[in-house]
Amino acid sequence: MNIEIMHRPGNAAAKVTLEPSEQLTAEAGAMIAMSGDIGITTTTHKKESGGILKAVKRMLAGESMFLNHFNASSQRGEIWLATTLPGDMMEHTLDNETLIVQGGSYVASEPDIEIDLGWQGFKSVFSGESIFWVRLVGTGKIIINSFGAIYPIEVDGEYIVDTGHIVAFNDTLDFTITKAGSSWINSFLSGEGLVCKFQGRGTVWCQSHKSSSFGQTLTSTLKPRSA
Amino acid sequence: MSEQQNQQQTATAEQPGYAFKIEGRPDYSFLTVTIPANETLKVEASAMATMDTHINMKTKMKGGLGRWVTGESLFINEFTAEGGPGEIGIAPGPPGDLSHVYLHNEVIFLQNSAYVASTLGVEIETKWQGLKKGFFSGENLFLIRCSGDGDLWFNTYGAIIEIEVNGDYVVDTGHIVAFTEGLDYEVTMLGGYKSLFFSGEGVVCRFNGKGKVWIQTRLVDAMVSWVYPFRRVQKKNTTTSS
Amino acid sequence: MKTEIKGAPTFAYLEVELAPGERIIAESDAMSSMAADMEVTAKLNGGFFRGLLRKLLGGETLFINQFKNESDGNRKLTLVQPWPGDMRQIRLEGNSFYLQPGAFLACSEGVTLGLKWAGLVSFIAREGLFKLAVKGTGDVWYGGYGAILEREIDGEYIVDTSHLIAYEPSIQLKLQLAGGFFSSLFGGEGLVTRVVGKGKIMIQSRSIPGLTGWLNPKLWG
Repeated sequence: MNIEIMHRPGNAAAKVTLEPSEQLTAEAGAMIAMSGDIGITTTTHKKESGGILKAVKRMLAGESMFLNHFNASSQRGEIWLATTLPGDMMEHTLDNETLIVQGGSYVASEPDIEIDLGWQGFKSVFSGESIFWVRLVGTGKIIINSFGAIYPIEVDGEYIVDTGHIVAFNDTLDFTITKAGSSWINSFLSGEGLVCKFQGRGTVWCQSHKSSSFGQTLTSTLKPRSA
Repeated sequence: MSEQQNQQQTATAEQPGYAFKIEGRPDYSFLTVTIPANETLKVEASAMATMDTHINMKTKMKGGLGRWVTGESLFINEFTAEGGPGEIGIAPGPPGDLSHVYLHNEVIFLQNSAYVASTLGVEIETKWQGLKKGFFSGENLFLIRCSGDGDLWFNTYGAIIEIEVNGDYVVDTGHIVAFTEGLDYEVTMLGGYKSLFFSGEGVVCRFNGKGKVWIQTRLVDAMVSWVYPFRRVQKKNTTTSS
Repeated sequence: MKTEIKGAPTFAYLEVELAPGERIIAESDAMSSMAADMEVTAKLNGGFFRGLLRKLLGGETLFINQFKNESDGNRKLTLVQPWPGDMRQIRLEGNSFYLQPGAFLACSEGVTLGLKWAGLVSFIAREGLFKLAVKGTGDVWYGGYGAILEREIDGEYIVDTSHLIAYEPSIQLKLQLAGGFFSSLFGGEGLVTRVVGKGKIMIQSRSIPGLTGWLNPKLWG
């Protein structure tokens, strides 16, 4: 399998080339174009494992309940994958490890990766992120997406990331919700409010922009919706 | 950095059209066209961002009822450089790229909202694509048929991917921007019934023939759903102000 | 202080590295990540009265933030504007520069944010009664929605009001109709700005009203 990510970071699309009879698992709706002879099956789970419970959990994380499995025929084939909003995509290889991904940021993975739900506790309610996170476990290539450019931060000790800017992190890290300034009043006045403080050793992948901030700038000129 | 991606073009034998440049590629492409003295450029309504002061703007109704029915703008503006060459800067509404083709007595079909600008030698008509195709293929029931001789610029929401088709190629609904005349497509199902309802890819456009398809990496429907929570709520008879 | 604009032009963000004791001033809510021991203080820029004016009349926020490195090693932070797009840095040596509302992101110490009367014309164009003037000695970072393009003006030029983001003080703005009355009403261009003078203007290749104008006919419900 060869993954090539084009048009980074603004309008990223992944071109996945499958060798004969290779497989790719992808979030439902991510395919935008493909060779005419690639087969597609839809399941609620990873092929030959899991079940409806995992699918329901995945839906809670803002992902689709359904996964598509693309199978190359006896010939090499290509699939183009894209995401819904403008933004970046990243290819990453897991080596028998766990990555925690923001709900909605999972795009695709090789068949050996387990896709499950990670509960990050009640603190997630305040993090401005999805309450549920997707856990990717195993060995193989994965593709994730973001709103904005993706940049990694190597944490060794403590680091603060504003809510709404987290895409993924190694499960060797833990986070707590805290204030941005030295005092609560300062945090409130600064407009920064609550932030996530990561602790431990590992990588956090951040997205440069926050989709909710952008959405709010559109409000005044968008057509109102009916009540 | 962005400078390297700029596209600049002056008239040559193969490209006899107007001189133009595209800056801000590929995500926020901005088109600047030099209109020769006393000539006219057609531009989609609201897209003008900058221009020389001696360029004169006239609003024309184009496409008739067809464009009105499809929710497209009823008006195309005509910009004429009075007395001397003039420069106009054009910014499409959605974030994305711009493509230029010079038509030599050729035909190209555009998705309804992809039209940006053209010279007067290009004929623009709206074409009914049939109910099934129109309903399933994406944004609109109509396509724009561009024919004749001259410059044509069109835009995408997201980046442009050009695919040379020879035989059979599948494109998801809503991602088609333009295609050449030698191609036809059918709206078909992918996979079984389960895929139809749950895969998110159920209905696709299957192209056949030999030619070129331009697809966009982003989907308008996704943006429409995403902005929903950011829209103000309109109460009965009164509009809440921002 | 070391700074670098990354992710440009699509998703520009500013990466800042502060040496011990150094500071940077940024627009409210601009911080996206930072070292955990960074000192953040909300400040009224130029005192309460001017801060209030900035908020009420200039369309800017009341408070701005100061980030100070009070540790004994170098510390990093990243700053970003609310919308995707390009970013620029300008170095001031005692001169001033005008920014349209919302364009300001950050500045170094030594730069003051002031208000200048923009005239009724600007108010009619829904750009506020005042414009933000940055002056002093130091660096200023500002951004736009879309790519940022520079145009050298010598004489007169027409710019759609929503695309103008910054300009030199030698430039004057005048508002006018885009075409005749009919065209201005139905052609979707409405009011445009005639920029007059000799100097630089910065325009953004997309605009928020342009985006919502494209989206609105497609919205249901």
